Amino acid sequence: MEIRVCIGSSCYLKGSREVINELNQLIKENSLNSMVSLKGSFCMGKCSVDGVTVSCDDKFYFVEPDDVDDFFEKVIVPSIPRAI
Amino acid sequence: MDNTDILATEIDDIDTIKSEVLKKISELAFDNRLDEADTIAFELIPGVRPRFRCCVYREREIIRQRVRMAMGKLPTDSHYKDLDPSLMVHVISSACEGCPIARYTVTDNCQNCLTHKCIKVCPFGAISRTPRGSVIDKTLCRNCGKCAEACPYSAIVDIIRPCVKVCPVDAINMDKNDIAVIDKDKCINCGACVTGCPFGAISDVSMITNVINLLLDHTKKVYAVVAPSIQGQFGKDISLGMIKGAILNLGFDGIYEAAEGADSVAYMEAKELLEFKKEGKPLLSSCCPSFFTLVENYFPELKDNVSTLVPPMAASAIYIKNMDPDAEIVFIGPCISKKADVLSNYINIISAVLTFEELVAMLRAKRINIRNQADMSSDSSSYGKGFARSGGVAQAIRKVVSELEGDEASSSLEIQICDGSKECINALKLLKHNRLRVDFVEGMCCTGGCIAGPSVLQDASHTKKLFKPSDEDTSIESAVLKLRINELDIHRT
Repeated sequence: MEIRVCIGSSCYLKGSREVINELNQLIKENSLNSMVSLKGSFCMGKCSVDGVTVSCDDKFYFVEPDDVDDFFEKVIVPSIPRAI
Repeated sequence: MDNTDILATEIDDIDTIKSEVLKKISELAFDNRLDEADTIAFELIPGVRPRFRCCVYREREIIRQRVRMAMGKLPTDSHYKDLDPSLMVHVISSACEGCPIARYTVTDNCQNCLTHKCIKVCPFGAISRTPRGSVIDKTLCRNCGKCAEACPYSAIVDIIRPCVKVCPVDAINMDKNDIAVIDKDKCINCGACVTGCPFGAISDVSMITNVINLLLDHTKKVYAVVAPSIQGQFGKDISLGMIKGAILNLGFDGIYEAAEGADSVAYMEAKELLEFKKEGKPLLSSCCPSFFTLVENYFPELKDNVSTLVPPMAASAIYIKNMDPDAEIVFIGPCISKKADVLSNYINIISAVLTFEELVAMLRAKRINIRNQADMSSDSSSYGKGFARSGGVAQAIRKVVSELEGDEASSSLEIQICDGSKECINALKLLKHNRLRVDFVEGMCCTGGCIAGPSVLQDASHTKKLFKPSDEDTSIESAVLKLRINELDIHRT
């Protein structure tokens, strides 16, 4: 699974660096390195929405730096494919 | 490079337009006034009389798009709205002239001879005879080139659009408006089209405002990692140490050389090479991100041959992160492809990438005079620095092998040096079909190596001589052991 965090200037100011660092930390803590790849992206054109734009399997989410834990738990974890 | 301001009226070529925009954006970012970015187009293009294009409105639209790209946005407009943010290079549609070029064209050299070999060889009957010489019917011509070969006066030439001509992977097409379009599935982010377009209509997206914001945030320690190719970029009087000093003055908390990482990459890669050699498997270098992408996307069967080492920039970043886990790291290099590499693979350790062009914009915005800098020392070997030019990786690998196994083992290594994308593609094709018997392939997509990268400030012919390995140097092994990078894991995950 691929998570792309926008690093364009607006998202950057909304805290994309914090979002990246925290997601990176959470991926490490949960040993998901092999399943989730964390990438940066230039502007995805959703600057006017509150929160940092994060795309995850082609869906867009808007994440505030304080809500990364919540986002990880509610969006990332459930979308990891189950081991068969 | 001096510190005098270039006035708006002196803007006369692409490089100055792009660097002026980057400088203005840097000034606004340092002053926390980025919301005023809209005014840049009017500052740079004042008045009502156009200077380079059909009208000032088009000139301003181009600047507006350049401002967007300087701020990490894509040059989208209402028509070109589906650009892919994972690409580092984009066509500024308003700047693309849609070059009206028919490929095979009869020039004035045509002597209107009697044999008319061109007409005879054309398989499509596209050429006819007129009192003024041969004429090619564009609707019938299939660009086979037979006429150009046949003409005894070399009067028929093949003109290809510059962007299409320089693209090594055929990733540029024209849309129905003749505007260049980059195929994101084919592009390897090498940046050849950025320097190849004579109108500067293809440009790279910048992270300059992110870097400036990091520097302004005093709660974070920000380190710069500079590519070895930075040596000599500011003219022959400006030493590497002075450049490092100037970068520190921008507000970085520390500066490291990617060449330090390169020493350890060479050290580990040579060990890997000896393992591969035992198995009779050729090893491919992994330092050039476009070469890496080339293998991944076009020669996936050779993926297992690519060295497992991270590129030198990442090795240096891992070294810094090991000392300071909260460090924010900015890589500064001549390369556009490294931006893509960091966004896709190293965003967890490297926060942003700047090109030399963007570095100059920041130095100018802060009015830092590079001549007034104290000379800082350098901890990397001349071999690590040599990664900057074609053949340098091979030389470093040979040096390590001779340190580890003796001169004979080193000179018996069969190494293929691929200088530029074309040579890389040729070698990979041969390798794929098992027709290239070598132990190691050094691949660099810019002809000449990183010193000829898309955002270098000096022509490679001036800087090349700075990268000769020196025998007075201490061994690579000792340079590596000094920094103890060998104790860290610098393999790709």
